[in-house]
Order: sequence, then structure tokens, then C-alpha cells
Amino acid sequence: MTSPRSKSPKPQNSFRKEDSKDETTFWDKIGTLGRKKRIKEVQEVQEEGKYAIDSPGNPAMADVPPEEYTLEENEERTMVEPKSYSDPKLLELMSILIDWVNDVLADHRIIVQNLEQDLYDGQVLQKLYEKLTHEKLDVPEVTQSEEGQKQKLYVVLGSVNNILGLTGNRLSQQKWSVESVHSKNLVAILHLLVSLARHFRAPIRLPENVTVNVVIVQKRDGLLKNRTVIEEITSRYDDLGMRCERDAFDTLFDHAPDKLEVVKKSLVTFVNKHLNKINMEVQDLDTQFHDGVYLTLLMGLLEGFFVPLYSFNLSPQNFEQKVHNVNVAFDLMQEIGLAAPKARPEDIVNLDLKSTLRVLYNLFTKYKNVY
Amino acid sequence: MEDIFQWCREGVAMQVRVWLDDTEHDMNQGDDHGFSPLHWAAKEGHLKIVEMLVQRGARINSTNRGDDTPLHLAAAHGHHDIVHLLLKNRADINFTNEHGNTPLHYACFWGYEAIAEELIENGALAALANKDGDTPLDKGKGLIVKHLKDLALQSGQDLTKINFKDQSWLGLKTRSRDATLSRHKGINLSDLYLHTKMATSPSGETWRGHWQKNDIVAKVLAVRQCSPRISRDFNEEFPKLRIFSHPNVLPVIGCCNSPPNLVVISQYMPWGSLFTLLHEGARVTVDTALALRLAVDVARAMAFLHSLERIIPQFHLNSHHIMIDEDLTARINMADAKFSFQEKGRIYYPGWMSPEALQKKRSDTNSEACDMWSFAVLLWELATRDVPFANFSPMEIGMKVVLEGLRLTIPSNISPHLTKLIKICMNEDSGKRPTFDMVLPILDKMKR
Repeated sequence: MTSPRSKSPKPQNSFRKEDSKDETTFWDKIGTLGRKKRIKEVQEVQEEGKYAIDSPGNPAMADVPPEEYTLEENEERTMVEPKSYSDPKLLELMSILIDWVNDVLADHRIIVQNLEQDLYDGQVLQKLYEKLTHEKLDVPEVTQSEEGQKQKLYVVLGSVNNILGLTGNRLSQQKWSVESVHSKNLVAILHLLVSLARHFRAPIRLPENVTVNVVIVQKRDGLLKNRTVIEEITSRYDDLGMRCERDAFDTLFDHAPDKLEVVKKSLVTFVNKHLNKINMEVQDLDTQFHDGVYLTLLMGLLEGFFVPLYSFNLSPQNFEQKVHNVNVAFDLMQEIGLAAPKARPEDIVNLDLKSTLRVLYNLFTKYKNVY
Repeated sequence: MEDIFQWCREGVAMQVRVWLDDTEHDMNQGDDHGFSPLHWAAKEGHLKIVEMLVQRGARINSTNRGDDTPLHLAAAHGHHDIVHLLLKNRADINFTNEHGNTPLHYACFWGYEAIAEELIENGALAALANKDGDTPLDKGKGLIVKHLKDLALQSGQDLTKINFKDQSWLGLKTRSRDATLSRHKGINLSDLYLHTKMATSPSGETWRGHWQKNDIVAKVLAVRQCSPRISRDFNEEFPKLRIFSHPNVLPVIGCCNSPPNLVVISQYMPWGSLFTLLHEGARVTVDTALALRLAVDVARAMAFLHSLERIIPQFHLNSHHIMIDEDLTARINMADAKFSFQEKGRIYYPGWMSPEALQKKRSDTNSEACDMWSFAVLLWELATRDVPFANFSPMEIGMKVVLEGLRLTIPSNISPHLTKLIKICMNEDSGKRPTFDMVLPILDKMKR
């Protein structure tokens, strides 16, 4: 819902298997027996080749049924409780993260379809890291062997920890490791992506309070014992807005929540003084500005022009249209000489209160004396 | 050099016609001696060309360096048919040149009796003295004088000598324009001498100044960031605004494209805009006759623009974008057309715009019908001398017109004909609005 339109095409699940089947029957019909045989041979070799490319990279563990897990004494195994997979919140989180990764990597033509299956080898994580930090990592481009993949993950995750500040004694806070990512541990991969999204202020709004039930199996005295742990992936919403120099609003949010209400109230009064002229009224700053409509109308009221209705959506339906509206308002602000807002349009649409207040306060300082 | 002056002199009507069809050609330009094409055609007696020029809006009373009007030249060279045509088109009959001579002086001096008769019948003063103190009758010889004297007395003229009064300082005359004016597209910024800032608007700063001895207005466009793309678009778009071929269109003379400065240059109009004339305490009162004349001027200009094949960049018709020339003709100002990169998403004068133009992209509307709505608002403005929706801000006007059905009300003291015309032009159904070609004859009739 709150994710922007992805720049990359959505993966199509039904691959062209049926097409190729049709093709063989077609060749079957017209080919002579000998030729048919040769065609079959060629196809078999192709299949084998295709499989050969895919197969060696897969860690053997993935397909091993749980019965064959042999646990040493006191060894632990964790797995996600199957019914967590159908938790709508988790599904939403995963799809938002997939869209985000795909958006970031759109110009690399990388399409991720499944977080567990597509990220474990470190290839995508490397590209993601390089794209987000604009730094090149010194790792081989393609690695086939398990050893090589782990080596690569080691470098990538090391760099990630570095920029996230998880070094020294804070290293213990990291919720992922080379082993866990490579073994396609969903919880580890989710933690990693959420941390990256937060750190780089991805223009997405993550669902709040997403949890996963994890089953931990431990062998003690020759017996398998399991317990369930609730793993918290995201907690309460904290601001996703652009990181910029700390300003009065940061202080206000951190230290004086009571004053925050006063500021909000005076901004509402200011905004309504103008919006009332066109029979509109705002009650709640937190939610009523996110679609950019009031913001755009306000610009026209303050600066003395009409914004033609074709240039924005008076009743926006989706995220994209809302971002467009906020963009229009931001553009107008710059056209009439205001500094470019520090917030990103996506922050406003994602209901980031601090960003919204910053933008409105900017207008307030310039136009408080306009009637 | 093969040029328009030569063709007019030699009577090459075909070439003149082709030349006039190019909108970048200014038929009111003058040659080195200030002779306009009309001067030459009138002097050499090419009736066809004179007709063509007059019909397309050449200035009847423009003067050359010696302050002769075309009528002077036609009278002096005995072209009766042309004198007749010029008189029918409001030629100033008692206009004096630098010697103080009227056309009648010349007709008498050269003994063109028929012309002199027609002049007197149309109000030429037989007793008006020139700088040397001679009246037209003093210039005549023989029997003609007696005859003309009788004629003048018959038409009620007092034949006591009227002394020459130098009126040239009054600024009544309209010299033909500098021929070089329309020949420059790209103008060098350093050639402009800008002395007074006239206004600052959202679209830019307007300066008064000189360029090649011409009084000009330069609009320095307000562009947030002049990218190479904007500079290129500017170069592509401004030549379309150089429309010299219609008397009611004020062309963009040329432009300076020197990023970050984009400057649009047009002729200085001392009266300012129609808005100024109507609402900002101008020095003339706009009576019904003048209002109608101005409306006809605008309708002619719009009909002409709509007849052009090429698409005019966004020109929003309203009284701010109409300039008033020194002879009180209205000319729509091409310098006020908006470039594609200008004022995106901002409409400063929504009061003149049709509801559909406020809601839909220009490409999705019938822009000619939208112009007609704007013209109706203009008629309302001319009739009431009020600013449309004066109590509201632009945003309020736009929202109320689109969402709440706000419309202008026509006061009952407006003539029923005009009320009807305004209503027809402001039809809610854009498909039912008339074209400017249809409105023109109605306005012409109302003028009488």
C-alpha cells in the first residue's frame, strides 16, 4: 500500500515452460525420426547445461529434509514457525522490502522475487551495498562455490556492519551472520534489510510491530527440545525522514512533546486561515497533509495564483499520485523562491510528521503576515 | 536589392502579396527616408497594392521623414482613386508635413482639380496656411482657384486665413517604423540599453530601454535555473512570437538568449495595457465607441491568430496581455505568451479563463473556444469597466469557477445587444461558442 511503484517489472511466475513444450510437439510433427532424435539430444544437453549453471551454487542443506538434521549435543537450530509465513504483516513487510531492493537495483536489471532464495549468495547484497553507498567492494563479481559465496558474504556483511556502526563491542548486537544469511535464515535477512532501509532512509514506510515466531530446537541429553521465541523485526514507527542537521524540530520531538502540540495548533490555525477561503479546513496535521492536495492549494493561496487542476490530483488514489502532488507543491515552493524542502516527497506521503511540520513551518515563517 | 519598397514602387503586386503572407514581415516599416510600402504604392499610383496594404492593416497616417502621409503623396501625384480609398479609410485630411502643407496644398499646386474637390468635400480646410503663410488656394493657378473657393464656401468653410501652428511636438504623428526592427531575431544583450524598471511580475522583470534608437520594453524572464534545455526551447519558441503582419498583434521583436538571462524584446507602448487603461486611472475615458473599437481590434487579432496554421504558444487572452498603441488601437502582446518552461502549474489570471481551461490540459481542450470565453470576459470588462471577480484571489476564483459554478453577472444597464453577445460567447458548452470570424461582423454592426 505505501510502497512506491517499482521501477522494475514484476516477476512473472509462470515461466515459458508451456511454450517450449508446444515447440517440441510442433517439431515432433514435422521432423523425421532421425531428426527428432537429434533434437531430443540437443534439448537434453540444454536442460543439463541449464541445470548445471543453477545447481552447484545451491548449498546442499537447503533440500535436506529435517529428519536428516543430525544435531550434536547442546546444538541449536532455529526455524521460522510455518504459520508465521501467512502473517499478513510479515507478508507486507517482505513485499515492501522486495520492492525497495528492486527499485534500488532497477538499473542493474536485478529482480529479486524471494528474500530467502535470492539474497543468500551475497551477490545481490553486494550490489545493494554498492548502490546505496556508492562504494565499490573488492570482491569477485561471480562466485559459484559455497566457499566463494561465504567469502563474499563475509566482506559484504563486514562492510555493512561498519557503516551501521556495529563494530567492537557492539558487534554482538548484529542479528545476522555469514552463516545465517547463507543458510537462508529469513529472520536474519529481514533484520539485515530493515537495518539497511532505516540507515539509508529508504523512502518507504515499513509496517510497525512485525514479529515472527521462531522455533528453536535444542538437543539436550540426547532429546530434542523446542521452544518458541517471538522475534521482533520492526517496532514502533520512528521517523524515516531525511537525515539532516539537527534542528529545532528534533529538539522539540525529543524534549518537549507538550510544546509540540502548541506548534501544531498554531500551524493548523495558520493553514486554516487560508484554506477557509476555498471552504476547506484541516483538523489534523499528522494525516491531512500527506497527499499533497492541501499543500498545493495552500501554495496558490499564499502566492496568488491558481493551480490548474490538470497539474495535480485533487483526489489522489494511490501512493504515486500523492507523491506527484507533493512534488508539484515542492516545485511551486522552489519556483517562487523558497529553498528546496529538506524533506523528500515520499517522507510527506509516508506520514512522517517531522518532515511535514518542517515544510509547513517554512511556509509559516514566510507568510505568517499574509492575509 | 529586391525588396518590398521596390516592389511597391514598381507595382509588383504578386511579390507584395507573397511578402505580406509571411508573418515575420512588418508592413509598417519604413525605408531610409521613412517611406512605408503604403507611401510608395500611393506615390506611384498602384491602387491594387494600396488596397492590399490597407486591407491588411497598414497604417493610413504614418509619416515619412518629411512628415508626408500617403495621402500627401497620392494628392501630389494625381492618383485620384487612391486619394478616394485613403479618405474612406480615415486618412487624416488636414495633416501637415514639415513645410506645413496639407494634401490640399499639393493638389492645388499641381492643378489636380478633381482631387482638390474631393478633399474639400471631405473637410480639407482651404484657408489653412503653411509655414510660409500660403493657403492651398494661394498655391493654385487660374480658374481652379475660383472654383474651389466657391466649393469651400458652399460647404460652410470660413475663408479667413488660419495661421500655421506647429503641432509636431504634440507627438500626434506616427512615423513609419525603423525597417531594421523586424530583421533581428537574436539580439545581443550588450546592445540593449535598459534604463527604467517598470514592473516585476511572477513571469519576470520588465524594463524600459533603447535598442538601436528604438523605444523598447525588455522582459527578463524569471527562470529558476536556465538549463541548456530551457535555452534551446526558448530559441525554438520565440520566433513563433514574431508576428509583424497584423496591425492588432504586437510582435516580439527579438530575443536575447544568453543564459542565465532570457530576454524578450518588444516595442514600447506608452499607454500600457488595456487593464491599465480601464482600471488604473488612465488619461482617457473609455466610452462605448472606444470600447467597441478595442473589442473589434482584439477580435481581429484573435481571428488572425486562429487563422495561422502554426500553433501559437500559450497565449492567455486577458486585459493584462493587450497593449494600447499610441493611436489607441488595441494590440495583443505576443511577449505575454507563455513559453513552455514558464509558469508551469501556475495561473495568475484565472478570472478570464474558461472552466475547462482551468481543469484540462491545453491539448485536451478546444483552445479556440477557450479564447472565445476569455473574449467574452473581456467584453464584460469593457462594458462594465470592472475587474472580473475583483473580490477574490486567483486561487479562490479558480476553485469557485470550477467547483462552485461561479460566473460573471451581467448588469442590467448593459445594452441588450452586448449582453446577448457576451452570453453567446460565454456558452457553457465550448462547442457552441462562436468563432472570432463570426463575432467580427456583429461587433462591426454594433459599432455603427
